[in-house]
Amino acid sequence: MSSWRKLWVSGLSLLCRRYHLPPDLHLGLRSARVLMCSLPRPFTSCSGHHRPFPESRVFGRFCFSSESSNGRCWNCGAAAALAEPFLSCRACGSVQPVDQSVDYFQIFGLEKGYDIQDDNLEGKYKDWQKKLHPDLVHLKSEKEKTFAANQSARVNDAYRTISKSLSRAVYLMRLEGVHVDEEKTVMDLDLLSEMMEIREAVEEASDSHALRQLQSQIKRKFEAWSNSFLEAFKRKDFDDAINSIQRMRYYDRAIEEIIKKL
Amino acid sequence: MAEQFYTVASDSENTGDDKVQSAFPDLAIGIDIGTSKCSVAIWNGTQVELLRNPRNQKLMRSYVMFKDDSPSGGVSEELAHGEQEIFSGSAVFNMKRLVGRVDTDPVVHASKTLPFLVQTLDIGVRPFIAALVNNVWRSTTPEEVLAIFLVELKAMAEVQLKRRIRTAILTIPVSFSRFQKTRIERACAMAGLHVLRLMPEPTSVALLYAQQQQLSLHENMGSGIEKVALIFNMGAGYCDVAITATAGGVSQIKALLGCTMGGEDILQNVLCHLLPNFDTFCADHSMDKIKSMGLLRIATQDAIHKLSSQPSVIINVDLGDGNKVCKTLNRSEFEEVNSKLFEKCEKLIMQCLVDAKFTAEDINDVILVGGCSNILKIRSLVLGLCKRENLYEGIDLLEAAVCGAALEGAVASGISDPSGSLDLLTIQATPLSLGIRADGDGFAAIINRNTAIPARKDMLFTTAHDNQMEALIVVYEGEGKKVEENHLLGYFKITGIPPAPKGTAEISVCMDIDASDVLRVLAGVVLPGTQNAVSPFIEVRMPTLGDGHGWCAQALAKMYGSSLDLATIPKKLQQ
Repeated sequence: MSSWRKLWVSGLSLLCRRYHLPPDLHLGLRSARVLMCSLPRPFTSCSGHHRPFPESRVFGRFCFSSESSNGRCWNCGAAAALAEPFLSCRACGSVQPVDQSVDYFQIFGLEKGYDIQDDNLEGKYKDWQKKLHPDLVHLKSEKEKTFAANQSARVNDAYRTISKSLSRAVYLMRLEGVHVDEEKTVMDLDLLSEMMEIREAVEEASDSHALRQLQSQIKRKFEAWSNSFLEAFKRKDFDDAINSIQRMRYYDRAIEEIIKKL
Repeated sequence: MAEQFYTVASDSENTGDDKVQSAFPDLAIGIDIGTSKCSVAIWNGTQVELLRNPRNQKLMRSYVMFKDDSPSGGVSEELAHGEQEIFSGSAVFNMKRLVGRVDTDPVVHASKTLPFLVQTLDIGVRPFIAALVNNVWRSTTPEEVLAIFLVELKAMAEVQLKRRIRTAILTIPVSFSRFQKTRIERACAMAGLHVLRLMPEPTSVALLYAQQQQLSLHENMGSGIEKVALIFNMGAGYCDVAITATAGGVSQIKALLGCTMGGEDILQNVLCHLLPNFDTFCADHSMDKIKSMGLLRIATQDAIHKLSSQPSVIINVDLGDGNKVCKTLNRSEFEEVNSKLFEKCEKLIMQCLVDAKFTAEDINDVILVGGCSNILKIRSLVLGLCKRENLYEGIDLLEAAVCGAALEGAVASGISDPSGSLDLLTIQATPLSLGIRADGDGFAAIINRNTAIPARKDMLFTTAHDNQMEALIVVYEGEGKKVEENHLLGYFKITGIPPAPKGTAEISVCMDIDASDVLRVLAGVVLPGTQNAVSPFIEVRMPTLGDGHGWCAQALAKMYGSSLDLATIPKKLQQ
């Protein structure tokens, strides 16, 4: 929680810089911070830069607070289609400013949840990029190019986050306002000794067959913890959910190690 | 300034009537500036067309002849320079291998056996390069040679298209550092060309593949299923691998990898095999030696080409002074001599598959491009690793890169085509990781390689000393865990860190790559507890370094030691 708050602040300081405003703008910050606990928010238009960012990694280059879309295209004034997130205008094709209230699941038209049922995520991702990618707005205004750069980068991040189960789990928690300290050492002796065993087994594995066997073993364990995250998240048991994420991280690393050796 | 001359030359009057109405006045041309051959292509309204020079060649030898008072690349001359003349010391070539490298680079050292003069002082500066003019070694630079050649290519295109050419898409090797890219941009600027985009060669091929898939889809009315292709590109100077996932005209680069290794290395390996004292044979650069070496090069090149279609070949060259090379080279011997190089190719492909998180079974098509793709061993090893019987057909191995560049030129210039054949997009990925120096000499990657661009990521760092007030942000590019294994891109200083015990202050470093591949680094102090940015962030466009950058890291270390170091914050490492 605290780390993304800081990042948000750094985003805000960028914003001050863009507008050549003094850093006093931070005055609005304390009140805004209260908002952060009320995530997630309904799907509405961006009401300016006081809205906290649900994700830490990408923060807006700048946000035209005077240009809040109000559900209408900044260029042609056409109303947004309610059925889909308003990233680009259906009528004139203009790329819209980033609306941080649209979460990554909404971008891909998915129910917010861990067990997403979608075999066409990549297709949807590519469809968005065909509408948003800066290469395709090369001849448009500087303003729209900036929108495209921001939107495209955000959709890149969204796809990366949603497509992998581990990062999807972390993101879901973040939407719930819980920061997962993934790197925290788990003080579970059983797990730590298991990790040691796995490491030894990987080192000693003589051929690719043995490695593959090991890989599928660990994958099963990863799946088991992935399921336990799903259950914990459903009953809003966040401590248990964090515990599952940390274990998934350990097994994920182990799988990476094996792939490196394969 | 000598450079000024070329800019002026590019504005010469051979563009004819500027008022001729062109259908696409600002359409960017595609240029493939290869180590050995160059080509230019453009979208002609319905398809990509390669431009031909007056000798009716689509692929032109990349060299600049310094024999006369005005250097010439021979692009539009009626009579081509003979190979012997090119190897006489008067011509400078292979510039793509030398551009943007310092004289401690092994690739520069390997170039010392070339007929023109490459001199190194091994101190980390630009190597001295010279061509023989009227029996005097006259100095030049890789950028200058490239610029002269680009001016000729540009003039050739202007004459044919009857309009001025201002913008271009150039293809470059995957392994080019950002510093090398700035050198290519510099050469283009000298030639009066604005670079719209520098495209890694295999990604340019990927775009052409995406277009072909899109067209065949229209014909078959099939569903828009995703196809995965592995592209292996090996030319005279560089070897690249990329994996692309294509659907609906969008080519997404899943992974790409490259190294400086190509036909030139194969040639040198064989030369070394034929003439064990090859490295020192030409060290004195006497006229006789250069001439004999030129003859041997020509014969060996020819032999390597022939080995693609016949099992053995005879090389017979008189080197003068009683030295003679007379040898039958068979294919297995050739493969043995280059075995290390082939092994490296295999490693590159396997690593690329791992990076893309694919296995051989996931690959739908295997595309082989570049001059070295004719070598049978390369074909068999690529097919073997991808568990395939056949290569993808319908892509010309020498023209694919320039065709893709011309397509990108049309797309990026905003041209649309009613038939939908320009309904294309490449989502590029970063070929090298980007990060800063932290924890002593460690490299902390902020944007990992193979991240889709545009991309923006940030990471928090902390101070390494108590009451540290300033910190150096030293930006590197590469895969090494230690910074000295990577390319230095630039540095700047963050000041005004409030005094605090080490490890408590927080410095946010953000890296941003836009769609044109411009890298910006933003950094500033964020105070834990108060949530305030202490002072405005600093934004720096990278790379900031000029020549002699090999020295900067040492100079920084000498001046500041570890006093301005940063450390990573272990628990807040990004995912």
